Amino acid sequence: MLAVEARGLTKDYDIKKDGQRAHLRAVDNLDLAINKSEIYSLLGPNGAGKTTTTRLLTSILQPSVGGAKILGYDIVEDASTVRSNVGLLTETPALYERLTVRQNLEFIARLYDIPKEDIKPRVEELVDLFDLSDKIDLPSGSLSKGMRQKVAIARAMIHDPPVIFLDEPTASLAPESAKIVREQIMKLSKLEARTFFICTHNLFEAERLSSRVGIINHGKLIAEGSPEQLRDLRKDETMTVFRFSVWDDVIQNFFQERHYEVLEIKPERKSISIFINDIEKETPTIIEELIKQNFPMFEVRHEYPTLERIYLDLVQSENLPRNQEEESS
Amino acid sequence: MNWRRIWALTKKDLMEFTKSKYVLSAVIGIPLLFAILMPLGTILPIAKANPADFEGEGLGGFIDNLFSKTIDDWASLSMHTQTLIMLAYAMFIVVLMLPIIIPAVTASETIVGEKERKTMEAILASPITETEIVFAKIISSLIPSFFATFISAAGYIILIDIMLFPFLGYLLFPDFLSIIFVLVFGPMFSIISVELMIMISTKVKSVRDSYQIGSLVVLPLIMLIGAEMFSFFFNTVLTLIIGLAVMLVIIFILFKFATNIFNREKAITKMI
Repeated sequence: MLAVEARGLTKDYDIKKDGQRAHLRAVDNLDLAINKSEIYSLLGPNGAGKTTTTRLLTSILQPSVGGAKILGYDIVEDASTVRSNVGLLTETPALYERLTVRQNLEFIARLYDIPKEDIKPRVEELVDLFDLSDKIDLPSGSLSKGMRQKVAIARAMIHDPPVIFLDEPTASLAPESAKIVREQIMKLSKLEARTFFICTHNLFEAERLSSRVGIINHGKLIAEGSPEQLRDLRKDETMTVFRFSVWDDVIQNFFQERHYEVLEIKPERKSISIFINDIEKETPTIIEELIKQNFPMFEVRHEYPTLERIYLDLVQSENLPRNQEEESS
Repeated sequence: MNWRRIWALTKKDLMEFTKSKYVLSAVIGIPLLFAILMPLGTILPIAKANPADFEGEGLGGFIDNLFSKTIDDWASLSMHTQTLIMLAYAMFIVVLMLPIIIPAVTASETIVGEKERKTMEAILASPITETEIVFAKIISSLIPSFFATFISAAGYIILIDIMLFPFLGYLLFPDFLSIIFVLVFGPMFSIISVELMIMISTKVKSVRDSYQIGSLVVLPLIMLIGAEMFSFFFNTVLTLIIGLAVMLVIIFILFKFATNIFNREKAITKMI
């Protein structure tokens, strides 16, 4: 059974534009199949439909067309069961600022019907985990942005849900706190088979954490796969980099004589790098020749296109008109 | 209905109220003004005035008619005492505005405030149903109003009795009318006020807008209190039964409206 399954998931909003009623398609025919214990990241620019997708999958919104299931439960027909089985970190921490950390967490725990005797230990376990023990009885409004984010993550996990939706989980967190959160996500996924659906702008994080990444733009899923599979989309952009301690034009001539395309020559503090279009198979031969000619080379590496580059390419080149059907009514 | 969830949400709202300066000032300040300061400023100067200044042609047929049904010895009282009694009942209507005004403040704070601060999404993501949310919001908005109304009414009754006892020789309040209005009609008006505020809350985005629209919406309710009270003077039992029946129907209809209007989709899309 899949943890998250969406088929043709679509969401239209009725909006007012220039005084006229119109439809805005926020999510467009989305198909998803996420396995249990998988960490799936949804990337996309602002307004791409990430938050609406999360709200649909957590049964807060109802789809206009299509549907989805969480652990086999339909998001419309079994909405209450779906909500019991998911945890949600909202886009902003949105805590009750006048209430303490403990009161915030205990309140949500009661909404999820956690037995009374289990609430206190669970709250203390989570505040320990996120290093908030000394802040537990402080009003959440007095906490820093990062600490509030940690409380909000703890809130999403309070009922130990099998599927957890996190909207920008490490936004505003200090590097050490972000590391704790990432480690917890990995740990819960591997050891306790929790499924994570992460909406993020942090491509580095998506690449490191996720088994698969989806890229959404204008409500449509424009690419999906493991970070490696996505990199393969731009395989032709892989480069081989040769780094030398001293530069000489002879080096450049060496590559040009052999008809390798020199993409860039990049001087650094104590070295200079030359970027050549991918020559993976020929690399050992070239290294041999460079050594023979005594060129001062001390590093050779293949540079694969980053997820960030792929993401930007896809989003920018995805020049489909905004799928916004306006209807005068 | 899951009462544990309802109570969790109610308890959370009440905790927030105790820490909100605005709610506290409304729950303490408005009753103090309506139940103590206004009556003191209005009735005390009359009580201290020279009774001889009030002698004349009488208060008139309508007033005499109205009060002779409730005050047994009305005809034998001096004009000065009759004026004090009339003012005591008139100011009591002001006290009865509390069950309408206070829930308008608490309901705005708890429903629109949740939307404004975006805290509603975490509630909507939980298994609590829309009906449970509306029910919890009604209870949490009503509790401060009940307390404020009962304490204010008690304070008002004590104050009036202290001021009027020397003239009447007996305690004017509590009488049947004040008990019925404080214990039965007051809470019912509160419930109607909260239900109206819940409906308003789905249409507005800020607490400020909610207060502004809410203050207009409660005006007809205040007029209704006055109307109920006057008709109660003339026809006690029948008016009581009809009044209660009508208000129960209104409460039921508004609850249905409120739960229909308040759904996850609208609550969340109004926040975007």
